[in-house]
Amino acid sequence: MSTTWPEENTTTTTGDLDTVDMTINVGPQHPATHGVFRMVLTVDGELVVDCEPYIGYLHRGLEKLSENADYRQAMGWWDRTDYLAGMCCEGAYVMAVEKLADIEVPERAEYIRVMMMELSRINSHFMFLGAFGADVGSFGTSFTYAWRERERIYDLIEEVSGDRMFPTYFRIGGVTMDLPDNFESRCRWVLASIRQGLEDLDGLLTGNEVFVERCQGLTPVTPEQAIAWGFTGPMLRATGLPWDIRKAEPYSIYPKLDFEIPVGNQGDVFDRFHVRLAECYQSVRIIEQCLENIPPGRVLAPKLPKTLRIDEGELYLPTEGTKGEYGVFLMAKGGAQPYRAKLRSPSFCNLSALKDLVVGSYVADAIVILGSLDIVLGEVDK
Amino acid sequence: MSADAQTAGLNIAVLIKERLPDIPFEASVTKTYADLRVPPESFLALITGLRNDPELSFDLLRNIVALDMEDDGLEAKYHLYSFAHSHAVQVTVAAPIPSFELPTLTHLYPAANWHEREAAEMVGLVFAGHPDPRNLLLEEDLRIHPLRKAHPLQKPEILQGIEDGPPGVEV
Repeated sequence: MSTTWPEENTTTTTGDLDTVDMTINVGPQHPATHGVFRMVLTVDGELVVDCEPYIGYLHRGLEKLSENADYRQAMGWWDRTDYLAGMCCEGAYVMAVEKLADIEVPERAEYIRVMMMELSRINSHFMFLGAFGADVGSFGTSFTYAWRERERIYDLIEEVSGDRMFPTYFRIGGVTMDLPDNFESRCRWVLASIRQGLEDLDGLLTGNEVFVERCQGLTPVTPEQAIAWGFTGPMLRATGLPWDIRKAEPYSIYPKLDFEIPVGNQGDVFDRFHVRLAECYQSVRIIEQCLENIPPGRVLAPKLPKTLRIDEGELYLPTEGTKGEYGVFLMAKGGAQPYRAKLRSPSFCNLSALKDLVVGSYVADAIVILGSLDIVLGEVDK
Repeated sequence: MSADAQTAGLNIAVLIKERLPDIPFEASVTKTYADLRVPPESFLALITGLRNDPELSFDLLRNIVALDMEDDGLEAKYHLYSFAHSHAVQVTVAAPIPSFELPTLTHLYPAANWHEREAAEMVGLVFAGHPDPRNLLLEEDLRIHPLRKAHPLQKPEILQGIEDGPPGVEV
């Protein structure tokens, strides 16, 4: 004798299941938000129907502080914007000040700076590769793989500048001190290790069918959409547009260097991942060329004033940060302090399109999409 | 480098004058790009022209800078870039006193949304027609404009709790 339980009897129900929207609060303290970022998701079953991002938890008043400190003092705060790549940030800031004050930088210092900025870029991308793998579900493995290389890069940066994350190594007019004697051999050793690490991560993630299935075709973005949302950097290049400020509006010694711009073709999550992976190889190429061609000479411009005063002028200087266009606006009106300092942070612009990217996807994919934006909250919140 | 930027900037300003002859603006050059200073009533027409003219086609809004010019009121600077022609320009507009109201650009450039919210809370510009005029980086109910020059930089002693003081000054 068979029994039919009441819930098994579905012959009398009509239509679909009636579902109720539910609100899920993610963050501000949550491993998937990569910092202090909060998003409120409204979900219907597993589908995201609305997303409201909240930022500002790490707002430290960078611009107000910079306007109340002299040009040299402010450098330490700019380090702390994109804290995964401090050298790129201080590089952008000092280049803007130098351009405003017409200060020439010795060529050796330019080479040192480019090497440091590219090491920072690799460092930041490793953070992405590790954390993104964890977002998608490789759990700790990709993280530990990435961390091995990151520690080695940090060790090298510490040997050069004396600090790991916030070196304040650049100076207006050059860099603080020359490279240590064994830098070339140490750097080549780290670069070989980076190549190995990239291949390991490539094998671990790109070679993993589950990872590829999760990422391919997720939120494809067209170049037109990307431009309208203000995407720059790897987010824009993933759509197939080969736009890199190091090539489009070159600064420092980048015109002398030979490197390629990796691009994707559909702008989906997998392309964003792959563009960043391929960029690391190009950064390694850049550093190798710098090691071969670095000239001898001084590393700090002579006859710099004790207190830098700039009479008048303004500029907006874009540089290729690790997340996109890291632009510095400075306005001088006499005196030792800038009248206005403004940061155009790439993560801020990339994140502003989060709602459009996430709505309509599954909750689990929302985390992957947020991870693929590669935000750093120090830079979003300023 | 700087001389190149100057000539490139002047060329862009001449081209814009040629393509948009009806719009009054004063052109000058900054250290990197040309700067167009436009009266607030012509601002939207200029931006629309810069975006839609095929010879100009400034399709990327890079950045918005809000400035407190003290006696001269508030200003906003817009940085635009064109992927088709690889040129860039800066547009400056002074907000009318005392309303400090500028038209929103969110319908032309979706990227303007957060930039405008930031500019509004930091110096107190008002963007007419903005779809979501809430605070972005500051607390939701905080009505201060920290990047105004009159807003004091708080003493560290107050932040550390050693001295008493106001948490923020209403401007």
